[in-house]
Amino acid sequence: MVQRRRSSNWRLWAVVAVIGVATLVITARLAQLQILDHQRYASEARLTHVSQETVSGRRGALLDRNGYPLAASEDTYDVMVEQRAWKDSDTAAKAAQAISAVTAGQPDAMLAAVAGTDVFEVPVIRGLNYEQATKVRQLGLNGVRLLLSSSRVYPEGNLAAQLLGFVGRDNIGLTGLEADLESILGGAKGSRTVEHDGLGNQLAWGTNHEVAPEPGSDIVLTIDRYIQRLVEKELDAAIEQHKAGGGTIIVIEPKTGEILAMASRPSFDVTKPDLSDESKVALFRNRAITDQYEPGSVFKLVTASAALDTGAVGPDTLWYDSGVVNVSGWSIYNWNFSANGTQTVTQILSKSLNTGAAWLAQQLGPDRFYQYVDRFGFGRSTGIGLSGEAPGRVRTPQNDADNWSPVDMTTNSFGQGISVTPLQMAMALATIANDGLAMKPHIVKEIISPSGRRAIQPEPLGQVISPETARTLRQMMGVVVDGIPKSLLDVQGYKVGGKTGTANIAAGDGGYRPDAYISSFVGVVPEENPVLSVLVKIDEPKDVPWGTVVAAPAFQRIVQPALAYMRVPPDQPVLVSEIR
Amino acid sequence: MATAQKTHKTSAVSELLRSPSLPALLTIAAIVIGLAALLPLVQSSDATSINGNIQKLEQEKSDWQARLHEIELGVASLGSLDHIEREATQRLHMKPPQSVQYITVDVPAPAGHKLPSRFLPPQPEPQQSGSSIWHKLFGWFPLP
Repeated sequence: MVQRRRSSNWRLWAVVAVIGVATLVITARLAQLQILDHQRYASEARLTHVSQETVSGRRGALLDRNGYPLAASEDTYDVMVEQRAWKDSDTAAKAAQAISAVTAGQPDAMLAAVAGTDVFEVPVIRGLNYEQATKVRQLGLNGVRLLLSSSRVYPEGNLAAQLLGFVGRDNIGLTGLEADLESILGGAKGSRTVEHDGLGNQLAWGTNHEVAPEPGSDIVLTIDRYIQRLVEKELDAAIEQHKAGGGTIIVIEPKTGEILAMASRPSFDVTKPDLSDESKVALFRNRAITDQYEPGSVFKLVTASAALDTGAVGPDTLWYDSGVVNVSGWSIYNWNFSANGTQTVTQILSKSLNTGAAWLAQQLGPDRFYQYVDRFGFGRSTGIGLSGEAPGRVRTPQNDADNWSPVDMTTNSFGQGISVTPLQMAMALATIANDGLAMKPHIVKEIISPSGRRAIQPEPLGQVISPETARTLRQMMGVVVDGIPKSLLDVQGYKVGGKTGTANIAAGDGGYRPDAYISSFVGVVPEENPVLSVLVKIDEPKDVPWGTVVAAPAFQRIVQPALAYMRVPPDQPVLVSEIR
Repeated sequence: MATAQKTHKTSAVSELLRSPSLPALLTIAAIVIGLAALLPLVQSSDATSINGNIQKLEQEKSDWQARLHEIELGVASLGSLDHIEREATQRLHMKPPQSVQYITVDVPAPAGHKLPSRFLPPQPEPQQSGSSIWHKLFGWFPLP
């Protein structure tokens, strides 16, 4: 009896021990799961049940100086499909067919998008408008929801395409102002965190946290859509008429430095930018600030300004043109190889004499000549605030003593052997138009945020030449324009000052390309008190190279309607008529 | 006396237990407890319903905003220079002028058109001049 009781006690204790050990193991495991590794498992659970999506605020609009939108955002919708809701092929096919019927999407592409992924949900069609989105919502399909997105719209079409730039699919600016002003236009992104049950339905009592996005600010540009359109139309016409390779036109308000229009060709379709073709990427750049060229005879204005401002010469100072200037073993000739005898400084400009410009530079000497080149802003960026701006290239005795020679200054005096951007040249002209006071060029006029408006004030950079010198030079530019046939340049009712240029194009091997020229015209109007300064540059015209023939007529066709549009009264109070 | 009272108490409890009203009391208690348990459920249901309504209203707000933005851009497109030119030449059969005449007059030019305000925020309301009666009252006190 005692033996039997001992045996049953042993078995009982064994069972108790097993249960005890099992309990300890389970307790230890629970402690590991719920205490030691709590954070890890809790975060894994959150990842499964809690989803977070980034919410973008409405991107700010780019407006012209009068408030007309050049680029604005439109709300669009992306159709998101839960992968497991379309696991059944019949259900998926019917749903895709139903969506396709109201959106004109491809059902096969939608099915492929869902089948080819293992993420929770995927977009099957993007960019639906409000009407289409409403129809999709009314379908009431299981596992299908609409995600609010936005797309960029250009009410004025391709106007100022290179300047404005475009945004990517994620609504972030890729080129132009869209990229440069991303921090202002884009606003601040928000987020939406929600908790789902096992079926993917949102839990009413679960995590539901939303950080509202901040909308981007609208930006008012200095661009005037009317003048910009006029400029682009005339640029296209000039390029077509002269079978040119491209060109650039810039219109500036000299008193403020505001860019009223800036256009370059060739350009691209901003509504459908082609990012797949690398050869077309070059079309996206704003050539008015990125491309450097040798300006040619229009640069004689800078040389003449310096010579007049230092008092080295006056407009009527006489000089003898023998037709050639010899410097450091090089012979410099006039563009038509002419020898003009006794000439005034004004005639150096009106006849565009290379030998005369070389003489003016020699009167100044390299120090003073390059000092004025620097004061006009050549060789450094203008500070307009657009990315990709080239500084230009000016070789001086100071910055390149080993390679600089006196012949460099001689060729620089008539705009060869020096590289500038179209904007630099246009700003030098604007300085002359603004009585010698250089203004910082700017493209943003005002920023309108939900908290208020901030106007960008014009910023003077400094007095480059005296007001008297600037006025004298404008009168000399008036003489230059008087010498241009009326059939090519005649702005009815207004006195115009200007300068033509026909520049060789550098070949890259130190020489120049044969029969390849840049034709340009820079002008200010009205000459007495300019409200517009305009640079017209046409690249490689095929018929005639002369700036007088190629660029000056475009200048006239731009400023004539622009002055009327800007309500600038004609110089003389008379009845003026124009017959076209 | 005390013994008699205790006996009386015990008998009252036992009477209650034996009373035929006990099931009724228990039923009432169960119903009260059941209703109390139902209360969080009702609250939860109500909150879910409100949450659903909020989401629906947010959706409606979002839809109206989208519609508004679409109309804004539609108006902007109608005011584009290309559209104006197309309407002028194709619908109204207008042509560029053959002759342009500029006439100088001795009166100032008319004011330019105001900016289209659809993309601009509303101007702030002008501050009301004068102070309220409370400001005037406080003004009498020598406050810093």
